[in-house]
Amino acid sequence: MSKSLFRKSSINGAVVVSIACSLSATALAKNSVFVGHLADLSGPTAFVGKYYADGVRDSLAYINANGGIDGTKLEYETIDYAYKVPQAIGAYKKWKSRKKMVAMQGWGTADTEALITFASRDRIPVYSASYSGHLTDPTGKNPKTKKPAPYNFFYGASYSDSCRALVQWANDDWTAKGAKGKPKFTHIGANHPFPNAPKKACAEYAQELGFEVMPAVVVSMKPGDFKAQCLTLKNSHTNYGYIGNLGGSVLSLIKSCNTVGTELQFMSNVWGGDKKIFKAVGAGIKDYIFPAMTPFWNDNVPGMKLVREISKQSDSSGNKERTHHYARGVCSVFFMKEAMVWAKHNGGITGENVKKGMYAVKDWEPKGLEGVCLPATWTPTDHRGINTVNIYKGNYNGGDIKIERVSQVTLKRRDDWLGY
Amino acid sequence: MSTTSMRPCGDFRTSYQQDTTIFETKFIWAATCALIAALCAAPFILDEYYISLFIQVAYLGVAALGLNILVGFTGQISLGHGAFFGFGAFASAWINTTLHIPVFFAIPLAGFMTMAVGMMFGLPAARIKGLYLAIATLASQFIIEDFFARADWFSGGSSGAMAEPVDIFGFVFDTDQSFFYIALFALVSMYIWGSNLMRSRDGRAFVAVRDHYLSAEIMGINLTKYRLLSFGISAFYAGIGGALYGHYLGYVSAEGFTIMLSIQFLAMCIIGGLGSIKGTLMGVIFMVLLPESLEGIVGMMKETDWGNIPAVVDGVAYLKEMSIGAVIILFLIFEPEGLAHRWQQIKNYWKFYPFSY
Repeated sequence: MSKSLFRKSSINGAVVVSIACSLSATALAKNSVFVGHLADLSGPTAFVGKYYADGVRDSLAYINANGGIDGTKLEYETIDYAYKVPQAIGAYKKWKSRKKMVAMQGWGTADTEALITFASRDRIPVYSASYSGHLTDPTGKNPKTKKPAPYNFFYGASYSDSCRALVQWANDDWTAKGAKGKPKFTHIGANHPFPNAPKKACAEYAQELGFEVMPAVVVSMKPGDFKAQCLTLKNSHTNYGYIGNLGGSVLSLIKSCNTVGTELQFMSNVWGGDKKIFKAVGAGIKDYIFPAMTPFWNDNVPGMKLVREISKQSDSSGNKERTHHYARGVCSVFFMKEAMVWAKHNGGITGENVKKGMYAVKDWEPKGLEGVCLPATWTPTDHRGINTVNIYKGNYNGGDIKIERVSQVTLKRRDDWLGY
Repeated sequence: MSTTSMRPCGDFRTSYQQDTTIFETKFIWAATCALIAALCAAPFILDEYYISLFIQVAYLGVAALGLNILVGFTGQISLGHGAFFGFGAFASAWINTTLHIPVFFAIPLAGFMTMAVGMMFGLPAARIKGLYLAIATLASQFIIEDFFARADWFSGGSSGAMAEPVDIFGFVFDTDQSFFYIALFALVSMYIWGSNLMRSRDGRAFVAVRDHYLSAEIMGINLTKYRLLSFGISAFYAGIGGALYGHYLGYVSAEGFTIMLSIQFLAMCIIGGLGSIKGTLMGVIFMVLLPESLEGIVGMMKETDWGNIPAVVDGVAYLKEMSIGAVIILFLIFEPEGLAHRWQQIKNYWKFYPFSY
């Protein structure tokens, strides 16, 4: 863009803005609701954050282009808060006081946890991509729950539940292989809230199933040389290792462990496995196990058609292959959308009614996304929307990456697992 | 008050009292009082967004002043200030929930607890200087951060700790509008305390240690004592700031207190002006408003038809992050003495207008 053109367009922009500002008061009085969207596009979690954010953003745009919430326009704004808590708070306060936000699409652990108190006080449902187990106990039913989070929702199994499902799969795998003795299980991850979230819960369940739980191995969230950690894993003869990290750190871990020659089965969290990682690791990745809450881009399920339509909002060619993080963002928005539709017919779209709308349907699949979003059930005392985990196996396969589903684990909704 | 710049000619002080006054003229004193009084009315006038920005300025400002006392006045360095800030937040929540001490008292107690931790990590400062000290304090950042993630009894580990809102005689300060007064009270009292400290015997000792530690020692200043004290006071401020932050959010999670926060505190001090109390506040205001105003520009672009496409929004998001870095570099080059110095120059210019030299 030439300099003068840029200047001209920015002046035009300013004029449009001032008009838009003067009109916004009337626009609000008309038929619209506001949804805030916090995304990390440039911060430390942008590695997966941008895919998820694209899913959320495209879905919001798609809903607007196709009738909104049963005729009510969906206003939204995406703010890149770069994973900084103060900026997330600033954005939230701005939306709340100026735009009368009714619901928010959030992102990671940092912003979600900082906003728990505000959201429940202001009665604004927050849909996050932070799947910490402690967000699932809305009333504090489990005495272990420190802070009930009544207005927090997320689409997907919690980190703890995903890890439990992986452990269950590992148990079946161990029996199927006909191996003898107690299998050994190790948690691998940085000493940070995100990798630590399922650590205790998962270790307890592993023990319950008869695993020998080894001391956790600490691997930095930043990519590096992890041969020392891999040697520890090798020497302890770990059979199953749960990876709590994501992105570059997972990549370095697998490469380092291949150099060392470990023979353990890696199982990662939902953020730690996608095609981008497999492509980056290359031939070194073998039978990598990871959970997913949605099918993959090329899978043949009816709902994928809608996801491909949504994708065209930001990629008109429709050729861009989206990750499963993208699809999870889509599901998160569509559950919110249907709760809003319910709210509209049951007293109007307010945060409180949207929350009630989340409880309206059991085994709920958003319309048009059949087969993409797993049937979910939220209740006023249990925010574990999903208790089914699809477990996939990924192989590099000489560049033609192969991802296949190996199992579907449905966990019991145990009371002692609520919020934990 | 002690500043790093030389006094301009014609600026005479004939008594020590004049030299150590906080407010140089009666007008400044009156203006400050009027400003604080005006701020008291702010919750009734401004919307919640501005109020929350002010609260941010308050808790970050208290913590940043602590760092400026250490770095700007005593000439030491700390790269662990963000961790101390976090420690204060957890400590206050912990004191309140386990010992059942009211939040209003838990906040200063958390300050003292953080002070103890700060002095512990400040111990190497008695022996090492410069880059070595920087690395030693960097270690404190990582040790404390790791402690947050492991100490379930203290910080709640990965599930975090909850912090009750401030409660005085049954009145709960749980909205932004009410918490604003707590933040304002803390900001004003901590800044007055900081200003007073700097004109006391201890404050002068800090400056002497900074300016020439050998001469200071010859003059009878106990270097170890004052270096350690400076670490303690710095951590105390960080603890108070952190505790305010925790009780404002109602929930403390170990996620936010990384090395990035520590560096941000340093940036606030440098941009505001090392060794200047009011400069610290200017630096904090600058650092809080910078991302917000850049976000405002991004927001304006999003209102336009050509601007509200992901390519533009994402591109500007990167520019936003980069420009924060660029501003810091520009400050270091063109205004190394910070906003406080610039403010002084603007004041001088108008004082002698139109005959400034």
